[in-house]
Amino acid sequence: MTSWLRGLWLRARYYLFRARFDREMEDEMRFHLELRAAEHTQAGMSEQDAFDTARRRFGNRTSLEEHRRTAIGVPSLETLGQDIRYVLRAIRYSPGFSTMVIATLGIAIGANAAMFGIIDRLMLRGPAYVVDPDRVVRLYATEQNGNEQSTESIFGYVTYAHLRANAHAFEDLAVYSATDATVGVGADAHRIRLGRVSANFFSLLGVGPILGRVFAPNEDRPPRGENVVVLDEGYWRRSFGGDRGVLGRTTVIGGVTYTIIGVAPQGFTGAELERRDGWVPISLTYWGPGPDWPTAWDASWLQIIGRLQPGVTFDQANAEATAAHRRAYDGPPNSTMRTASLSVAPLRFNRAGKEQAVTRVSRWLVAVTTIVLLIACANVANLFLARATRRRREVAVRLALGIGRGRLIRLLMAESVVLGLLGSVAGLAVAVAGGRFIRGVLLPNVAWTNRTVDLRVLLVTALTGCATGLLVGLAPALRSARLDLSTALKSGAREGGAHGNRTRSILAVTQAALSAALLVGAGLFLSSLQKVYGLRLGIEPDRVLTVSFDWPSLGDLPGDVKDRERLRRNQFYDAALARVRAMSGVERAAVVVGTPFQSSMTIALRVPGRDTLPQLPGGGPYVRAISDDYFATAGTHFLRGRPFTRADVTGGARVAIVNETMARTLWPNRDPIGECLLLDTMPCSHVVGVVEDARRFGLREDPAMQYYIPLGEERALGFGGRQMFVRPRGDVATLREALRAELARLDPSVGFVAVELLQDSLDPQIRPWRLGANMFALFGALALLVAAIGLYSVIAYLVTQRAHELGVRVALGAAQSNIVGLVVRYGVGLAAVGVAIGMLLSLNAGRWIEPLLFDTSPRNPAVFLLVAVVLLVVGLLASVVPAWRAARVNPIEVLRAE
Amino acid sequence: MSVLPSRAELLPGTLAMLVLKTLTVGTMHGYAIAQHIERLSEDVLRVQEGTLYPALQMMEVKGWVRSEWKLTPTKRRARYYSITAAGRKQLAQEAKEFERVIAAVGRVMQPA
Repeated sequence: MTSWLRGLWLRARYYLFRARFDREMEDEMRFHLELRAAEHTQAGMSEQDAFDTARRRFGNRTSLEEHRRTAIGVPSLETLGQDIRYVLRAIRYSPGFSTMVIATLGIAIGANAAMFGIIDRLMLRGPAYVVDPDRVVRLYATEQNGNEQSTESIFGYVTYAHLRANAHAFEDLAVYSATDATVGVGADAHRIRLGRVSANFFSLLGVGPILGRVFAPNEDRPPRGENVVVLDEGYWRRSFGGDRGVLGRTTVIGGVTYTIIGVAPQGFTGAELERRDGWVPISLTYWGPGPDWPTAWDASWLQIIGRLQPGVTFDQANAEATAAHRRAYDGPPNSTMRTASLSVAPLRFNRAGKEQAVTRVSRWLVAVTTIVLLIACANVANLFLARATRRRREVAVRLALGIGRGRLIRLLMAESVVLGLLGSVAGLAVAVAGGRFIRGVLLPNVAWTNRTVDLRVLLVTALTGCATGLLVGLAPALRSARLDLSTALKSGAREGGAHGNRTRSILAVTQAALSAALLVGAGLFLSSLQKVYGLRLGIEPDRVLTVSFDWPSLGDLPGDVKDRERLRRNQFYDAALARVRAMSGVERAAVVVGTPFQSSMTIALRVPGRDTLPQLPGGGPYVRAISDDYFATAGTHFLRGRPFTRADVTGGARVAIVNETMARTLWPNRDPIGECLLLDTMPCSHVVGVVEDARRFGLREDPAMQYYIPLGEERALGFGGRQMFVRPRGDVATLREALRAELARLDPSVGFVAVELLQDSLDPQIRPWRLGANMFALFGALALLVAAIGLYSVIAYLVTQRAHELGVRVALGAAQSNIVGLVVRYGVGLAAVGVAIGMLLSLNAGRWIEPLLFDTSPRNPAVFLLVAVVLLVVGLLASVVPAWRAARVNPIEVLRAE
Repeated sequence: MSVLPSRAELLPGTLAMLVLKTLTVGTMHGYAIAQHIERLSEDVLRVQEGTLYPALQMMEVKGWVRSEWKLTPTKRRARYYSITAAGRKQLAQEAKEFERVIAAVGRVMQPA
């Protein structure tokens, strides 16, 4: 220790007083030259000759200078240059090896870079432009309904108004919601995604406009604010060509004229990650939930966000928001909102206050890409080890010729780091392609503002490459430097030593184990996805096009005109249905109020003979108004009785159809046909049929009671919102445009006709599994490929190394089949050990992955079995070529080569 | 070029060892060290004198030798070097390594 300190001191002294040291050395050298010259003079030389001879003998000053620096250990540019030259030469001389290393690392590093780009937006940075996003939270209400507890982030305006006035844990609170709206009329009409926000929304998030202004404080006053709109930068470019003179111009949204007052920064998405085309004040109500929305406790349609006061914790905010809400509540006394607990959570959480499934899956994918990187590292380390063994002689000669061991390690490490960095470059290409794929295909709704490869991704990629290079190069370099010279120089490239083999086998087994684990993950997700797709939803969303009509607002019209227009619009559906059913590409069509996966409603319902209706966990009973032919169009199976006829719908017959759960719950062990339902204050509706249960909103749903009434009755019961369902005969895409054109022709006063596949409403729910299945499968396949290469290289190397022994065996009369068996047993053995370890890993990881699976056990034996078989086959394949080569070993050649 | 008998350049990495060995005899200045090595090797090993001083400086930084300025018998100022304990340890180690290398090179050079 003291000697180490002393060394440090001496070195420091040298660097500190360098000039004095150099001066002293000059003196010393001069003294030396003088003595030498004196010696020559004594031998009879002239003084000049004596001095010149002494000088010559002393040597070249420049090369001396270099020598000195190397000796002291000052890193010199020249030796660095040498190192780089050495590395580049080494890379050039073994193109196969280098390509393999760069490709392997490139794929793995690229996968990591791409995933980092995703996770960076989803989890680390949150919505773009938000200042100090850690202090911005979303509010949630947890309501207790009997034994059921539900958490939602949907509130009424009145809750917000009270909280804003009374909850002091927040610097400010704001509300927002989003809606699709139609811009323009007639043929030019198009749909945009509109954010409806309180006036302080922008200032709360800390975001300003890039042009014009955002909302003034008084522009959102309920019940009716100003008709002003802030455009999204992207929309402004697309629709207005980025014209700066757009301010003060007007645009028609949903039949109402708005003045453009500003443009929000590119990719600003508010408190969520989905694209917005424009922003309007919250109080505009043409789609709103009734005129009393500013004071109604039961009109919940807004999300509340808040910025916490400095130093306020989430717990404090929860307590204060809950207290403020309960003090202020003066709505219906039996509402669950009265005793609701309020809480806050980060913006990235979903509407139920939980981390979004996509985020959770993404977190897993980061783990997966890390594993892929580890496998790649193991593989590359293996390649380096194999080569280090082949290069033992070269290294030994270098050592014998006096290269310092430190310098040698530096040289070897430099090579692996340079290869790691080249791998990063290749990885960037992978990241760009992969990132685009993930963004476009798997997370299409997120508005990606950053490029697929931005500075942060670049930095992470470079660091990963560097670290990887160091990691894979360290062991081989250290081993080379520890080389025992005399044995290395004596022996050939053949003997790698038993130790080397063990390391390499362990690395190969590690690769096999990790890929087995990934493949199990892939299998579990694929099985989940299959279960999701195979799920009987009671409706066929991939075979149903929904057609919705966006009518201009009736808001400002006088009462009688309004009524006449309403009637005309309702009659329009009859004509539209007839026209659509006649189209050649249409198999069936129907009209519905209450589209599955989009909306669901309840009205007061009684059943004779029962005081109250049984409560099911799924809620309900829910009602839906339908035209004739609805069930055949939607793909819902009919179980008993008859569907509605044309006459039921036009004649206003008092009939109803119930779902299986409702029939079983209300009339157990009885035929429900002919039973009576009392809707609101209406006379009996008689049950005429029973259909299978159909999903209302989600993939996972508790059974609920659902009944259907003939279209037209919903008007008397006070709800509306008609959509058309179309079942196409053939291709969905071509029918879309034909439908739009046909219906727009039928009534030019329709604002916009939207034709969408019902499946699109369901897709966000399926996305986590699809994301998981795709990515696990992709990375699993990648890992398998890399592991296969790893196994192959280990076995092939083993065969080369043991060529001598195999030759002797053949010479002694071993059959070819014996030799093949020997090699294949080794390869399959490695794979088998890997599989065993991988299975154990997967079994243990199962309980973490279970919540992400759909109706699939994390110990699904079929998946495990399949993965085991696949890996063993890969092990077999990886050993076949080396085994074949081993069997053809020519004993004479091998033994002569010694 | 030279009238002197054929001389070998020092093997790389052996200079420090030779210097340390020389200093075990006693304290001396750079010129004396060079002379000593040449004399003992019967003029076969020639110290490239220019490299001697940087090497001495390096060895001092590493703590193998210690130096002080003193007056020579001819009343001139010169820097005298002496070996330290660390230097002796280093010498033992290098000597051992050297023997191994020489043996290895010898084996390589043996006729096949």
